[in-house]
Amino acid sequence: MIRPDAPVLLEIRDLTARVEDQPILKGVSLTIRAGEIHAVMGRNGSGKSTLSKVLAGHPAYTVTGGTVLYKGEDLLSLEPELRARAGLFLGFQYPVEIPGVSNLEFLRVATNARRAGKGEEELDTFAFEDLVRERLQVVQMDPAFLERSVNEGFSGGEKKRNEILQMALLEPLVAVLDETDSGLDIDALRIVAGGVNHLAGPDNATLLITHYQRLLDVITPDYVHVMAAGRILRTGGKELALELEERGYDWVDAELVATERTPAEVG
Amino acid sequence: MVAASLSTPTAAAGAAPGGWIAALLANAGGVASAGADALAASRTRAAQALAQTPLPSRRAEAWRFTDLAPLTALSPTLLSPAPAAQPETAAGSLRLSLDGHSDPLAGISLPAGLEPISGDELNETLGQVLAATGSAELWPVLLNGATARHVLALRVRGPVATTLELVSDAGAGEGILPLRLLLVLEPDASIEILQVHRSGGANLTSVVLEARLGEGAELRHGLLASGADTSCLLATVAVEQATGSRFSGVSAHGGWALGRLEPRLVQRAGAAHSALKALQLADGRQISDTHSQMVFEGPDGRLVQLHKAVADGQGRSVFNGAVQVPRLAQRTDAAQLSRNLLLSDRARIDTKPELEIVADDVRCAHGATVSRLEQDELFYLQSRGIAADQAARLLLRGFCEEVLQELPEAARPWQPLASLLGEQGR
Amino acid sequence: MASSATVGDLVSQPYKYGFVTDIETEKIAKGLSEDVVRLISAKKNEPAFLLDFRLRSYRQWLQMEEPDWATLGHPPIDYQEIIYYAAPKQQEKKASLDEVDPKLLETFDKLGIPLSEQKRLSNVAVDAVFDSVSIATTYREKLAEHGVIFCSISEAVKDHADLIEKYLGTVVPGNDNYFAALNSAVFSDGSFVFIPKGVECPMELSTYFRINSGDTGQFERTLIVAEEGASVSYLEGCTAPMFDTNQLHAAVVELVALDDASIKYSTVQNWYAGDENGKGGIYNFVTKRGQCRGDRSHISWTQVETGSAITWKYPSCVLQGADSVGEFYSVALTNNRQQADTGTKMIHVGPRTRSTIVSKGISAGHSSNSYRGLVQLGPKAVGARNYSQCDSMLIGDQAAANTYPYIRSQQPEARIEHEASTCRISADQLFYLQSRGIAFEEAVSMMVSGFCRDVFNQLPMEFAAEADKLLALKLEGSVG
Repeated sequence: MIRPDAPVLLEIRDLTARVEDQPILKGVSLTIRAGEIHAVMGRNGSGKSTLSKVLAGHPAYTVTGGTVLYKGEDLLSLEPELRARAGLFLGFQYPVEIPGVSNLEFLRVATNARRAGKGEEELDTFAFEDLVRERLQVVQMDPAFLERSVNEGFSGGEKKRNEILQMALLEPLVAVLDETDSGLDIDALRIVAGGVNHLAGPDNATLLITHYQRLLDVITPDYVHVMAAGRILRTGGKELALELEERGYDWVDAELVATERTPAEVG
Repeated sequence: MVAASLSTPTAAAGAAPGGWIAALLANAGGVASAGADALAASRTRAAQALAQTPLPSRRAEAWRFTDLAPLTALSPTLLSPAPAAQPETAAGSLRLSLDGHSDPLAGISLPAGLEPISGDELNETLGQVLAATGSAELWPVLLNGATARHVLALRVRGPVATTLELVSDAGAGEGILPLRLLLVLEPDASIEILQVHRSGGANLTSVVLEARLGEGAELRHGLLASGADTSCLLATVAVEQATGSRFSGVSAHGGWALGRLEPRLVQRAGAAHSALKALQLADGRQISDTHSQMVFEGPDGRLVQLHKAVADGQGRSVFNGAVQVPRLAQRTDAAQLSRNLLLSDRARIDTKPELEIVADDVRCAHGATVSRLEQDELFYLQSRGIAADQAARLLLRGFCEEVLQELPEAARPWQPLASLLGEQGR
Repeated sequence: MASSATVGDLVSQPYKYGFVTDIETEKIAKGLSEDVVRLISAKKNEPAFLLDFRLRSYRQWLQMEEPDWATLGHPPIDYQEIIYYAAPKQQEKKASLDEVDPKLLETFDKLGIPLSEQKRLSNVAVDAVFDSVSIATTYREKLAEHGVIFCSISEAVKDHADLIEKYLGTVVPGNDNYFAALNSAVFSDGSFVFIPKGVECPMELSTYFRINSGDTGQFERTLIVAEEGASVSYLEGCTAPMFDTNQLHAAVVELVALDDASIKYSTVQNWYAGDENGKGGIYNFVTKRGQCRGDRSHISWTQVETGSAITWKYPSCVLQGADSVGEFYSVALTNNRQQADTGTKMIHVGPRTRSTIVSKGISAGHSSNSYRGLVQLGPKAVGARNYSQCDSMLIGDQAAANTYPYIRSQQPEARIEHEASTCRISADQLFYLQSRGIAFEEAVSMMVSGFCRDVFNQLPMEFAAEADKLLALKLEGSVG
């Protein structure tokens, strides 16, 4: 839902970042307003997953330039947990398994941390159980998963549902979903996408990071950005995704060559 | 407390065994003075060290469960076994017979890629792998060093397709048969070696193998040792691995009054692959013992170890598997499994993994099981009409074959399982 | 991203029990001799059999050598530099707590163990031991109504001499090992628990040990007897002030379970561990052994070991009775320069005996943490079973984790299974938790308690949360 007067939630300006000595992001700019759904598409290695990790504050990525404002405040100086408490959510492409730590306990601690971030009271064990059982329905998840260790022994689809369950509990303002569709069969994709659609509203925003059109068949984006070589190459509406689907990524290469040449020609 | 059992004093080294060493050294020294061989200098050093080293007692952790009585009952003389009957050599393998005094290479043309090491180079190289693996002062190594009169020393270049069979048979004679082996694998060299040691009498087969693996080299090593109720085996296999090298050791020993195998491996800079698969059997009043040690001196090393043991009759099986992962050895991946079958209520199993880790990013797992044959499996076979004892034999065979099948092809004519179970006519 | 706290920083929380109570103390002169042994016995007005036991043990101790097989290193202990008896000056043990020196009550208050009638923990009876003597035992009358005896061992020697004579030294003999022999010669106090036939102890029993003097050794002795069909759950806790010298603690605990009896013994050990350079701290050399004498008897050890410069203890079970059960659940955490060599012995004597071992070692800093265990199945242990699991978690690349599980079997109709693994807290796991709003410290603590969960589940409810917090405190500053 595009509303030009909606408040800006996330403002990324000329963001550059590296992993070890390898520059990955080479100047990314992106503005996300409340109510919007953005999709970032691109090939493997284009930098789209790096963007999500940098936004969440993964310690392996070093920001080398640019700014990110979240609700007008500097995001990059915050520890990862403070970003989460402020309402930024990263849905992981590969959620890690944490043996021994109960999923229910983890969800409760995380939910209460987010509630504290919103200035709300902590939920006690019983109130939380009620909440979690209600939110389980968003992703049609079996309550038995609450009793297991975090993601341990979960199938790919179960892990992704667990991610969306966390999103449903944490009620983020900006949800960054990294390849949430990867490794899902068609039923799981439908459930996960249903969850995302259910949670999207006029006051929050979603940034989908994906390789394929098929996720965008079930979640309709307001904007589609094509990323390549650490930059956003083109921005358009949902038709851009269809164009990508039809023409493949090859034309991106051609455009990339063109843009790379431009500075040299100018200089 | 563990203390109580650890410190239980056990009489092992009485007056007689000390005399046994003295008598042995007198006998071995006599032979040494007869001719100046390549080992003369190192033999003198080892003899001096041995004379000053008390016989290992069961107070020492490494010998807690292993009584040397069967060894000190032997005649303290050197043995020169007579040639024994041997099965046909398998295709693609070259058999060298070791008798402790004559040159096994005499009259043999070595395949391409193999050459003897001799002279100064031999003197320099000998003992280095023992030192690198912390094996030089082990009592069985000193005993071998003080008595061995001949060393088979070979260099390997490039891939050698022929399997080298190193064979000894102590026969029925009395005394000690010391065998010393040295292998130097140049970078990217590869070879398969099979050691076969047999005995049918009151004697000791003492074997020390040193193997140095250059970068990217591969040694596939097999050891098949079957003894008799009065015979002893002390075998040390010391292996030093450079990065990218692969060592695969498969061993099977059984039938010895006292049979002890000590694989001692070190990955000098890590990033190598080591595999140890072993089977040991103890029946009658036999003691079957393996003390293995794996040291990672650099990162990214890998160990896969499976140790299987069977104890029947009044037999005693001992396994101690040390794995050391110091701080340098980040990203080590080591797995050790000790599986033991206890088949009689008078037999004993002692098994002890020993992990010492000072690195946080490592995967080290070990496991141990001790049980009899699976009752469910026995019942399944019986329910298909197989008699209980036959079913048990089948299951035991299956337990053993998991290791035996990994022996080099050249082991097949030696009928590994039959020879270990004593089912083979000698 | 801003540099976050490392798990390394996390492990170095100041020790909050490090204060010294300023109280007048009666001490005897330093050093150990037959006269000292006689003096301790005389101070306690002991009967002859006990003095004999002490003297026999002392003479045997003189013949013994300090064990050196554990993976531990420390400068030699000068046994003549230790004071073997120290007691806060107060007359006879008080009938009412109101007469106990308020300074002592205050000390235990500060340690979180309120003894006074109004504040005492509900449903937990506490015996409070200060240096060498027991100063108070709560809920005695209520326990007595059920026939349960819970008192200091000194009182038991006076009031229940027959029971002491019958059981003391029968599980851990006076000459069992070097430190047990020393304890047998000079033990000053400790707790005695007797649960008569058929009685289920109506509340948790607990002893809290406090070392206060800097130059005193602590040698307490605990004896718990559960008669046929009786059951009890017992917990001990320990703290000591921070001194830059080392204090010796050599305790002995004996448990006896008759037919169908059950004893659950839990320890939360938080003696002072020394500073980050390894200066000071308690040398904790402890012999704990339970004997399942009766058929179907059950002894369970749960320990959370976080303190002491050196820990040397192997709570063991001798499974004599048919179908008896032994359990050992342990969390041992070492940090800085701490050294722990701990584990258990499960000696299966009787038929169909069963044992379970779950050991979780966490090594951080420059510490060394060894699991050493023995599972032994004797020739009569037909149908016996053991399952052991020993896991290590390493934090940082300077700490050592060693595992030495001895397995010995002479019984073909038995089954032994042992598993061990090593893991660490990975950066990805930490980031995942952080990205859900969970602070770094809490993330580490969640993962550590997840690692230890199998053991914490065995602790009495009141103490499980306590143990969780304790580990988190101990780990402050070490992951990263």
